[in-house]
Amino acid sequence: MLMLPAWLLIGVLFCASSFAQSITLTGTVVNKKTNAPVPGVAIVVKNSNRHAISDAAGKFTLETTAGNTLLVSMMGFEKQEVTVGKTNNITIQLVENVSQLDDVVVIGYGKTKRKDVTGAISSVSGDEIRKTQPTTFDQALQGKVPGLVVQQVSGQPGGAVSVQIRGLSSFGSSGPMYVIDGIIIGGTASLGEGTNPLAGINPSEIESIDVLKDASATAIYGSQATNGVIVITTKRGLVAPPAISYDMYTGYQQLPKRMPLMDLQEYATFINERNKALGWGFDTREDFANPKYLGKGTDWQKELFRNAPMTNHSLTVNGGDVRTQYLLSGSYFKQEGIALGSDFERVSVRLNLDNKTTDWLKIGTSLQLANIKESVNTTGNSVIHSALTQTPDIAIRNPDGSWGGNYNPDGWVNNNIVNPYAMALINKDDINRYQLFANLYADVAFYKDLSLRNEVTFSYSTAREDRFNPTYTFGLVKRTNNSGAFLYNQNLFKTIRNYFTYQHVFDKKYNVNAVVGHEAQLSTSEGASAARDNFPSNNVQVISSGDPTTATNTGIKGQNAQESYFGRINFGLNDKYLFTGNVRADGSSKFAADNRWVTTWSGAFAWKLNNEAFLRQVKQVNELKLRLGYGLTNNQNIRDFAYTSTLMTVATGLTGIAQLTVNVGNPYVQWEKTKYTNIGLDGTFFNWRLNFELNFYNRRTDGLVMQIPLPLYAGTAIGWAPGSLDAPYVNIGIVNNKGFDFRISSTNIQRKHFSWKTDFTVSRNINEVIKLNTDGASLSRPYTRTVVGRSIGEFYGYVIDGGVFATAKDFETHALPVKNGEPLPVGPAGGSIWYGDLKFKDLNGDGIINELDQTYLGSPIPKYQLGLNNTISYKNFDLNIFFSANIGNKVFNQLRITGEYPGTSSGYMRNLMNYAQLALIDSSGSATDIKNVYVKNPGTFIPGLRNDNTNDNNRVSNKYVEDGDFLRCKNISLGFSLPDKLLNVLHIHYLRLYVNVSNAFIISKYSGMDPEIGSWDPLNAGIDNGFYPQPRVYTIGANIKLTK
Amino acid sequence: MIAMKSVIKILCCQILALGLLTGCSRSFLDRPPLSQISAENFYKSTNDLRLATAALYGGSPWGDWNYTCYLPVGDVLSGNMAVGYWGDAVQLNTFSITGQNAIMVSNWKSMYNIIAQCNITINAIKDRAPDSIPLQARNAATAEARFIRGYAYFNLAIHWGAVPVIEDNGKLVTSPLVNRVKTEDVYKFAINDLTFAAEHLPAADAAGRLTTWSAQGMLAKVYLAFSGYNQQGSRNQALLDSAAKYAGNVCKKSGLALLPNYANLFKTQYNDNPESLFALQWAPGGGWLEGNMLQIYSTSPEISANGSAGWFGIGPTVDMIKLYSAKDSIRRKATFMLNGDYYPELNAAGGGFKYTGNCAIKKHIIGTNKDNNSPTMTQNSSTEHNALLRLADVYLVYAEALLGNHGTTTDADALLYFNKVRERAGLMPAPMLDADSIMIERRIELAAEGQYWTDLVRLSYYNPAKAIGKLNGEQRVTFTYSGGVITPASPYGVITPATIQSFTFPIPSSEITANPKLLEAPVPYF
Repeated sequence: MLMLPAWLLIGVLFCASSFAQSITLTGTVVNKKTNAPVPGVAIVVKNSNRHAISDAAGKFTLETTAGNTLLVSMMGFEKQEVTVGKTNNITIQLVENVSQLDDVVVIGYGKTKRKDVTGAISSVSGDEIRKTQPTTFDQALQGKVPGLVVQQVSGQPGGAVSVQIRGLSSFGSSGPMYVIDGIIIGGTASLGEGTNPLAGINPSEIESIDVLKDASATAIYGSQATNGVIVITTKRGLVAPPAISYDMYTGYQQLPKRMPLMDLQEYATFINERNKALGWGFDTREDFANPKYLGKGTDWQKELFRNAPMTNHSLTVNGGDVRTQYLLSGSYFKQEGIALGSDFERVSVRLNLDNKTTDWLKIGTSLQLANIKESVNTTGNSVIHSALTQTPDIAIRNPDGSWGGNYNPDGWVNNNIVNPYAMALINKDDINRYQLFANLYADVAFYKDLSLRNEVTFSYSTAREDRFNPTYTFGLVKRTNNSGAFLYNQNLFKTIRNYFTYQHVFDKKYNVNAVVGHEAQLSTSEGASAARDNFPSNNVQVISSGDPTTATNTGIKGQNAQESYFGRINFGLNDKYLFTGNVRADGSSKFAADNRWVTTWSGAFAWKLNNEAFLRQVKQVNELKLRLGYGLTNNQNIRDFAYTSTLMTVATGLTGIAQLTVNVGNPYVQWEKTKYTNIGLDGTFFNWRLNFELNFYNRRTDGLVMQIPLPLYAGTAIGWAPGSLDAPYVNIGIVNNKGFDFRISSTNIQRKHFSWKTDFTVSRNINEVIKLNTDGASLSRPYTRTVVGRSIGEFYGYVIDGGVFATAKDFETHALPVKNGEPLPVGPAGGSIWYGDLKFKDLNGDGIINELDQTYLGSPIPKYQLGLNNTISYKNFDLNIFFSANIGNKVFNQLRITGEYPGTSSGYMRNLMNYAQLALIDSSGSATDIKNVYVKNPGTFIPGLRNDNTNDNNRVSNKYVEDGDFLRCKNISLGFSLPDKLLNVLHIHYLRLYVNVSNAFIISKYSGMDPEIGSWDPLNAGIDNGFYPQPRVYTIGANIKLTK
Repeated sequence: MIAMKSVIKILCCQILALGLLTGCSRSFLDRPPLSQISAENFYKSTNDLRLATAALYGGSPWGDWNYTCYLPVGDVLSGNMAVGYWGDAVQLNTFSITGQNAIMVSNWKSMYNIIAQCNITINAIKDRAPDSIPLQARNAATAEARFIRGYAYFNLAIHWGAVPVIEDNGKLVTSPLVNRVKTEDVYKFAINDLTFAAEHLPAADAAGRLTTWSAQGMLAKVYLAFSGYNQQGSRNQALLDSAAKYAGNVCKKSGLALLPNYANLFKTQYNDNPESLFALQWAPGGGWLEGNMLQIYSTSPEISANGSAGWFGIGPTVDMIKLYSAKDSIRRKATFMLNGDYYPELNAAGGGFKYTGNCAIKKHIIGTNKDNNSPTMTQNSSTEHNALLRLADVYLVYAEALLGNHGTTTDADALLYFNKVRERAGLMPAPMLDADSIMIERRIELAAEGQYWTDLVRLSYYNPAKAIGKLNGEQRVTFTYSGGVITPASPYGVITPATIQSFTFPIPSSEITANPKLLEAPVPYF
């Protein structure tokens, strides 16, 4: 019904145009600033197929009529509309894109101009992403997008990254939703520890990334979007002559910092002292009799870490005419890890096609195929942890060429520590993934204002893992049985999506844009694995050559589905007031039938102050917009079938098989609901030279879903815990995130040959748990505790009161630990407290040290994350320096628990030499007389040499909690673009050469390798246990562009 | 205008497609689990119930306990054995167990894991099993789960005394902060479970399954321990009588008899022999902490699965080895290896095994894959069904219950069953029994089976001085052995004198951190 009048309207327009006079227009396109001709510019007559493309001299010819409008577009320049006058010759001056305001922003099921955005959306261009030369694009978002906290989960090549948008709103994973060209990246097949599911996306293909933060921006995506949406748009073909670009870089990476561990002389000295002091005898090492004659021994860190090469090549061809635009790109990336036993290789191909088939139909596709090969042996076999715990007396290789290993059968030797260097070389843990991301779309334009988009998307991925652990002999440490395993997973995620878009301007004042649609998603996964032991040779590693009687296998299938109806209306009044309303109904198979459906909604209002009369006169203000948004979003962040208990088949010696309950189901588990308020202000001043965005937000999440960590007496656990039931998913509480994020960009200097731009971002989030399942409840993990009134996952433990028991008076003035309520005796024997034991603070003042004396020791969540980017160009040189910083977070250095414990048998840290030294006041007196002993270095936090550990000196305490603040110079790059004269001689359109240093330096008080410790588990974050550190990377590279 | 018509067609198709999708949306979102059985579809037949209870006899719920606690708690803490190079085990040896001790924490965790599995099974049978399953079958399945739950609560009562009693794990989701329950009520809870089991388990079942005799034997043991609780010097006679009644039933009415050869009890060929009343039903294969991991104490790759030796050197203490009289060699050799001992059944294909070290454990060391005819057995999954209750134990419980509060006894039944145990060991029958002779007999007969600590704890209930004295009189060190001469080895740590505190484990610190109410005084349950 609606269509008839509109059709008439179009007819009238066509009729009107046919009366106009036809002319042959010739023109030149130049850069307004430099006056240089701009080739490759597309000039299209609006509402027609007629078009032209400017040649190398910027010239074009086009049949048109006076009064027609020409659309002039070119990458890097602002779009222009030019009305054809009576003259046959025009010059079009293109303005370089200095502001983002005319950029198109992806808002989910549509696009809008940045100046019309009502929600909190930040954007980053692909060029910006590529400056830090990330292996995966998510690494590069750190410090670039305000409100986004990015932390590396593993520094292994292509390693995983945790991304949180505006704080932790979930105890499970708080990661955002990723959408690439309309393809939701959900459940890609993944295997192996620390691997990144987003690793298949090649950063060099990215055109832009839009980060949707508040409810008014995300609600249209519904239930998967409560933690924000990261929308990735890849480059597409242009209406332009074919362009061939080639980008490459190559370089090497190194370990920026090593842990301070004892060398052989120090180690031998310490072992001798401990053996003597404790009267053990069994730790007498003849080879250590004279430590000063020993060398430095093996520095395992030096051996394990290497200067590792990395290299990238990508080739892109794109172009097109008015009907068909194409982009074809291929890339190859290879990176060896700085730790032996890790590497990463990616080959990817992309084809993006758009075709205007008929006047009313446009079809197209985005296709990407990627192959990722990784070795994750370093992480999978905890090689770094072994290197940090193995002792320096062990040789890498023995004189006869065999692997070194613990050789001393006696004494306090940890015989489980392997030769980490050998482990990195001889084990195999290879992962091979294929990822296909495909989007096929058809746009049907019923008439000018109403269109229908149909999309089918596929995300198909497979992952294989090939593991082999050979037999070995490392001195006394032996493995006599080899084993191999092969695992395969595949995942298919399909989406069908249909939505109508209606767009109309009524009375030149009322701008309406409405979207209504339906979406259905189905994810299926399958996997199988096989393993055998007892291979005849370490060199034949195929599963079938293992001993068939040891064969084991597993198989798994999974599925989940979601169906949604959604709608959005944008309404603009006079280009001053903008209103947005979103509503979406989602049904999910993850819940019991009664709880399946939920409604998400949001509303937003924006006021473009600059278009009001009182500001229109103010030349300094180009744009000023106030935004208000509020909404309710829902989250289904739970595993499949959490609503029911399941049983699995297990082997038993009784009946052959039995059915064992796996988890505690909770049929009442519900959607997590977040109420989200956002107030924002965007401004641009001083002729577009200064712009900023500022957002304040408050997110309150009710009915927080999580796998509830209960005391051990509940018989449940989270994660791998044989014998325990998998804990139920429960709506257990309320958490609030509030804060602000701010970005300011300024062009400090803009001259003909010199420019300097600065971008600065700040993200501040305050996380607070408002309610848990019951009063007084807490969520405890080995080093953290989460309670009401504090942020998620704060470190929790004892406080050391100034050092160790050092004088007789200390035993009178300091409380002692208790056992079953009775204070432990004072004395040198086992089961007693003595000089050199740490003094813990009696925080509740009850005169004893027990569990009630623990307190909160800080949070692993950064208070602020900052980014500062400076871009300077001078003539043909460009310089980019990017800093990122974390402020106010703590790191738990778990390695120090054993490394600074005098009774340790592994991981001897250099600090350990400062253990509490006991001495006698009267050297001829008794060593067991409390009045005759004192400690020479009373301020030390390293306990004395004790035979047992009755005092639990290495219990969780503030001594392991360190400041994690850092300022990291993420990137310095210096580029040189060849001058045009030279390029003309070489017949090249563009050539830039550059040098780059990533992670150039870091300023931090943290004693470990790297204070940036990301985690997917918010209850277990910020814990350093031999973390794979981020490398420093030196590269040189080139960007070359050839045009016809 | 042609275009226009197509457009309308497409639009109609779209609307139709939308309508279809909407129409079938109900089933579109019905996505049941594909890899596992959902509880809603299970517990529908007697066979389902048998499959559910079978999972409670071993596997992952018991794996950690069997690996970490079975011998360290029962035998190292009590002084039968010592193990070095493992800080937590050294704490057991030196009576300096802290709230962080991993062995103690594992014991707590494992028992509650087992309790959770039993609770789920018991409640599922009650709520989900249809009436089409005969009541007797439902009760029998419930009885199996209640036996195992009762066993777990008895274990908790022995080691901690007052502990939380959990019957419905679902309730903990909304109210996780529970109090400890008084020790006597923990005992009563265990007795209730075992009484139900005794009434509803059959007199005979497939090998390895629990029977009423298992339950009555266990009940006797629990009554015997409980009879001394909170008593001074003598024990509660009524409870002793109950112990005697149930033990007597097993001795006289079950028709079961001791296996003639003591050493055969610990060979996999004799798994689930008639003497075995409750044994863990291990299967070969399976991962870390999912199987019987007792081969970790194996000293040589020649005598363990897949040619991998164990990693914990456990051995008898001087105190233990000196208890064996010269004539008691059958049990000694089946329990501990001494230098020069020869075992033809270990590595039989390689001509047997001659032990060349000083001293080591023999029980639970079962030899190679071939010795046990089990190709899939691994280091983590011994196929031995180690018994947690066997007839000889019940015989000795019976004798002790009959001795009761008397100084000595010559009761005919007491002597009959006591001496059956001795005679099998190749020893002279005892003419008269007293508390010490029974205790020593139990310690030797059941050495390396995780029992002696329980005997010491129940002694400490009514005669703490004697129990403390026994611990402090022990030589808790291993030894070197050559030419028949025992030379004590240096201790693993300085041994703190035991006190009455030594008989109660501290509550795991992490549990108190999670629930400070555990520090409060225990409350009654009934």
